[in-house]
Amino acid sequence: MPQQLAIIVLVDIGNALESRSLKDNTYLFDNMKLHGSENQGTGDLVTAINGAYWSDGSQASEQVLNWLPYSLGSIPPTVPRSYQAARTQQADRQALADLTALTGRPSSDGEDAEAALSAIRKNVGTRVRAAGRSRALAGQQVLDVTGKVVSDHGQGLHNYPAPVITDVFGEAVDEKIIYPAAYGSPDLVTDGWYWSATVDTSRPGTYTYKMRIQLHELVQRAGDWTWEPVNLVCESRLQVVSQPRRNAFTQAGLSYLPLAPGVSA
Amino acid sequence: MTTKPRQQKAAAPRRPISITAVVDCVGALAAGNTRGHVYLYDTNKAGGSAGLGTEQLRTRVTAGDQLLWNVLALECEAFVAIDGIEIDKEVCEPVRKVYPGTDVSYWIGTVKKSGTTEVPYQIRFKLGTRDEPLTTALSPALVG
Repeated sequence: MPQQLAIIVLVDIGNALESRSLKDNTYLFDNMKLHGSENQGTGDLVTAINGAYWSDGSQASEQVLNWLPYSLGSIPPTVPRSYQAARTQQADRQALADLTALTGRPSSDGEDAEAALSAIRKNVGTRVRAAGRSRALAGQQVLDVTGKVVSDHGQGLHNYPAPVITDVFGEAVDEKIIYPAAYGSPDLVTDGWYWSATVDTSRPGTYTYKMRIQLHELVQRAGDWTWEPVNLVCESRLQVVSQPRRNAFTQAGLSYLPLAPGVSA
Repeated sequence: MTTKPRQQKAAAPRRPISITAVVDCVGALAAGNTRGHVYLYDTNKAGGSAGLGTEQLRTRVTAGDQLLWNVLALECEAFVAIDGIEIDKEVCEPVRKVYPGTDVSYWIGTVKKSGTTEVPYQIRFKLGTRDEPLTTALSPALVG
């Protein structure tokens, strides 16, 4: 049975946008530490992939890699998938309720009403545009890192949207060691898409691969605040290993599973 | 003689420094401790934070900075939350809050004073279905 191996790509988006580089601003993890992966939590992860083989050495099944890109310091991916849209709707509903309450109030002095209107304007925030193909972000309000709507984008309080992997390429793909593709997913933490690859483990060795990652920067374009995509590339390595690993049942090395005396296979 | 009213200039809000713990929930539960299973990061590397990716993160702060702690599980199916932050109350008093409309929590607090020595602290984590929280084995710290 194929084993599902996960690689987390954690990006310090603020610093990456500042330096226009993912180098030293990306931290990679996988769930194969006990299987020999090295440099967890750094930009230099080497992911160990242990193949499954028949006793004659031929490949028994394919391992499967999944990539999960996260943003460091942002609202975590454990909030519901539609969180941004839900907060936008909630802010709109609240503004309407506040406006209704304001118009229903007996006539008061103008200054009071002006202050109330200004508070409503602040709570409702302003919608932003999105350049390029980043349509999912268009027309929504901007949240801060605590989930509150931001009205003044000039203060730089915005929560960065999660990074998006747009391509996986490089040596491991050219050498046909991995076959990556983006898949649609009902998974709540990956926003409906994820990158996955099957691995040809018949050719052990260390192979590099690259990820093209799209970040979004909030900038002013022709008077409108706009999420503008910024495409950057980071690199990682896979180490395909064919040596048999420790026997998880007996903790021993290579051998068949121990059978009680008198038991025949 | 009249006195001029003191001008109160409202400080512009600043983005909090986020401190994120990436927790290998399965590894920590199997070992019964956090050593080697917690990776701490913050968003103030450019400001001088050090030890990113280790349990001994040194976050560079100044008085007035807001600090926000949150957590990511290495396996998206695993449950991890911060149960508490043990830190000198004279330096910072983090409180638990939730992202509006969810039960996903974060901890937030303001640095009251800086310029002293390192202020070590501990983070308690709730992991999976384990009743007892696990506390960081090595101490991260705030550095002023």
